[in-house]
Amino acid sequence: MDAKTHTSQALVLLRTAAVVLLALFVLAVLPTALPAQSAAVRIGEIDPLTGKLAKHGTEIHEGIVAAVEEINQRGGILGRPVELAFRDDQSLPETAINQAEDLLYRENVLGLVGGYVDSLVAPVSELAAKHRIPYVASASLQRSLTQGRHNPYFFRVAHLDGIVRPLCGFVTNVLKARSIAILHSATPGSTEFAEEIRACLEAAHLPVTLFEKFRPGSHDFSAFLMKARQAAVDTLICGGFLPDHLMLVRQLKDQRIPVRHYIGPWGVAYGSFIEEMGRDSEGLLGMCAWNPGITRPGTDEQSQAFVERFRARFKKSPNSTTMHGYVSARALLAAIESVATTSTPLTGEAIAAKLRTVDIATPMERLAFDEQGDPKDYHQVIVQIQNGKMVAIYPPERATGKLE
Amino acid sequence: MKPAKQLILPAFGVLILVGWPLSGLSTDMHHRVLGMAFFYGAFAMTWNISALTGAVSLGHAAFFGLGAYAAGLTSHYWQISPFLGVLLGGLLGGVYACLWALLFKNLRGARFALASLASVEIPKTLADNWDSLTSGSLGLVGIQSLPTLDLGAWHIAWGDDLKAQYFLLLAFMSMMVLFHFRSIRSRWGWAIRCVREDELAAAGLGVNVGAVRAQALILSGFLAGICGGLYAHLMGMIEPALVFSLHLSAMPLVLSLFGGRYEVFGPLLGALVLYPIDQLLFHSLLPVGHAGLYGLMIIVTFLFFPQGIAAWLQKRGKSA
Amino acid sequence: MLLQLIASSFSLGSFYALIALGFSLIFGITRAFNLAHGDLILLSGYLAYALYKGLGAPVLLTLPLCMLALPIVTVVLHRFLRHVREPFELNTLVVTFGLSMVLQNAMLLAFSANFRLLPKADFTMLPPESTPVLNPGQIFLIALSLLATAATHVLLHHTFLGKALRATIQEREAARLAGIPVERMGVVAFALGGTLIGLAGPLYGQSAYLQPFAGPEPTLTAIIITIFAGVGRTRGILLGGWILGFVESAAALVLGSSWREMVAAVLLIALLLLRPEGLLTLRPHRESKA
Repeated sequence: MDAKTHTSQALVLLRTAAVVLLALFVLAVLPTALPAQSAAVRIGEIDPLTGKLAKHGTEIHEGIVAAVEEINQRGGILGRPVELAFRDDQSLPETAINQAEDLLYRENVLGLVGGYVDSLVAPVSELAAKHRIPYVASASLQRSLTQGRHNPYFFRVAHLDGIVRPLCGFVTNVLKARSIAILHSATPGSTEFAEEIRACLEAAHLPVTLFEKFRPGSHDFSAFLMKARQAAVDTLICGGFLPDHLMLVRQLKDQRIPVRHYIGPWGVAYGSFIEEMGRDSEGLLGMCAWNPGITRPGTDEQSQAFVERFRARFKKSPNSTTMHGYVSARALLAAIESVATTSTPLTGEAIAAKLRTVDIATPMERLAFDEQGDPKDYHQVIVQIQNGKMVAIYPPERATGKLE
Repeated sequence: MKPAKQLILPAFGVLILVGWPLSGLSTDMHHRVLGMAFFYGAFAMTWNISALTGAVSLGHAAFFGLGAYAAGLTSHYWQISPFLGVLLGGLLGGVYACLWALLFKNLRGARFALASLASVEIPKTLADNWDSLTSGSLGLVGIQSLPTLDLGAWHIAWGDDLKAQYFLLLAFMSMMVLFHFRSIRSRWGWAIRCVREDELAAAGLGVNVGAVRAQALILSGFLAGICGGLYAHLMGMIEPALVFSLHLSAMPLVLSLFGGRYEVFGPLLGALVLYPIDQLLFHSLLPVGHAGLYGLMIIVTFLFFPQGIAAWLQKRGKSA
Repeated sequence: MLLQLIASSFSLGSFYALIALGFSLIFGITRAFNLAHGDLILLSGYLAYALYKGLGAPVLLTLPLCMLALPIVTVVLHRFLRHVREPFELNTLVVTFGLSMVLQNAMLLAFSANFRLLPKADFTMLPPESTPVLNPGQIFLIALSLLATAATHVLLHHTFLGKALRATIQEREAARLAGIPVERMGVVAFALGGTLIGLAGPLYGQSAYLQPFAGPEPTLTAIIITIFAGVGRTRGILLGGWILGFVESAAALVLGSSWREMVAAVLLIALLLLRPEGLLTLRPHRESKA
């Protein structure tokens, strides 16, 4: 008797569970009822919002949100509010494509922004072309994305040259390096960077004595540091990301390796890095396109206003990555706005065509795109951490301090 | 009478899966997501073929990645037909599985799992460091997409037309169902089951235990390699970290156990339920916390259906 | 150079062993394959971080607090895993896979996606220019892992409770027949494992970094070392950690950092083939079917 009621109860539970599963499936697969042609202008964003890259993905996202809220405070685009639909790409290409497709079909977005990993930006850019919807990538660097393939719907606000050129100039002109080590992460972006910087330094006859790659997620660099000590490395360029610098710098200090200049193009010039490393971050060299206090000449006020708005809204300071997200969204919104004012219908084609002629002033750069969709101006600066603050030291026209 | 009853549900499922895209109610988004669900369902079944013998592998990403690189490289250097390249990918996966079968023949349970897990590192590191052949960590980009079949007036573009790709993946998945079916419901399938339940008894019954285990593993590696090769052409690019990932090694296990690893449609059902719900519902519901919902769904469902959802459906079908 | 290599492999190996101890104990006694192990270590690390940042507690003090707090979490986990049915090993693996995702996303909401570090135990009285073979942080790590291993070993081999626990590891059913409350041993194992996870957390925040999605790496390390050493072999774990640490460091030194994972993998496979019952086992013990 007891057993019988027990099983029937279990059966009811099981049935409920099965029905819930089925309902979830139907909900997932059915196209959601579209909002009755709402007045809003919708744009979409795809970024790594979970996983190891979530820190930077979130920063880009906040930059985009800042740009969207800014335009809405001004009354939107000709009175129409702007809405942002955003999705996580999980750092996986098929998820990025699925989610982009979802944004295009169910969210009816007019343009896409975001993107942190190049190998995910590429498939999304192809999808954008197929749907004739513009995509302004926020932090894409790799050369192969714009070279040799023409995609009239793809734009980006950064490129690798803007990092490699100033860094190579800095190392050749300013540092008197006698032995240079280059360490990079086994990811496409970091590998391309390392190979380019090595080629550039060797062309300038500088001695690259150590060139090595490590698996992302490694915590232990002691063997590499032993070799660096043996090769009497005085300049170490690490193309890893923020957590790699945390580990490497800490072990460098622990093992007392006499490296004079430590350069991390990605990951060092961040407030959160300085906060975690504390005094150990003193003297390290990093790179950024923008930071509070490090802005394109002539945009100090605009930059300051952005920083204040951002702090009030997000209770934290913006950084270079945030700015990349902000600038990419600004470009897309500017193009949408100028299409809207000419009273042509808002279509992907019209917006993409307008993006070709966009020319806006942002704290990071004067943004205009070339034929390939690359930014015409993109130059990062070298910064050094001095007394817990980032100080621009190269190129000379942007420098506010000296190398210590 | 009984087998006919058991076929009602699957037949109904096939009818929906074939009819739906033809009805015009679906979009390319659905074709893409369900196509990938078929793909991962197929991959989960290839994993399960060897897992059915009791050899639970945590290293099927090795076969997958080797297949992807074989297809990607032959397409990159010699521009051979993608289907031929995919087949070569399967062969390479099969060869690596032969090595496993030889070396790991005495390993069972957790130790087999650990050996398989470690085996992924070897091809992964080679692909990552052999710059002149595989372009190393930069990965292979611009791998040609799947070809277009010209049948006079009909052009079936498997690469560009997502509906055509959907049917291709559906057919591919159905083929894997056949293999999976054979490894459960045939003489050979019974041998596999004997090996899993009790090796000594199986040997006593005249089952060649070593041979059955090796056959299942090699077939599994071959088919997983084919999955990898197909992936290279579907995505158009591969990287060592992408195709030799822990994610790929763990996914078939989760899908199979969720769906029911002893059922013909188990792994497939796992993929067909989990993948679309995650990609189309959870991602849009909670862009930042979707994986938490996914995890919660696995936990809760698994507490209700410890044998997998297919096993429960099967039982219901029988008692009805 | 060789001395340097040995010193740093010792410290790396001790770190590995600390990560693996809790997993090994829980897996050995209850057969629960806890894929959320690394996430629990991070949870403990975050707890230490919150105490350190929020209340200004010194890191050394956070160690005992975490060791007290984490057993509560793992005992709750044990109660929950009791509902998981056979085959226990595989089914707990899938359930804790889901749990791991839930924990990661909960930590993302609670602690943000930023990378966090705990300051290293700093008792530098060394002259600033000296280059010691072992730095204070490494000595601290090695000492703690030796201590934790020794404590676990003494508990398992020199107490009555330990005898019951070991009996459960070796022959579950026989232990039950001999009157050992196997279920209660499970609670004890999860509590002890939780203490060890609690210890590993702050150390993980010192020697590696905290990030909500960093859990799979320590989980993997723990699985590898546990199976490599032989389930339930405390001393084997320390030895396994050291061997792995040495081989990885030597490979990175001689061949380059990009080869270390492969060399470690080849060694693992070789040892699994040559010593299939684990590093320190003399007599074979039965393997339960997965």
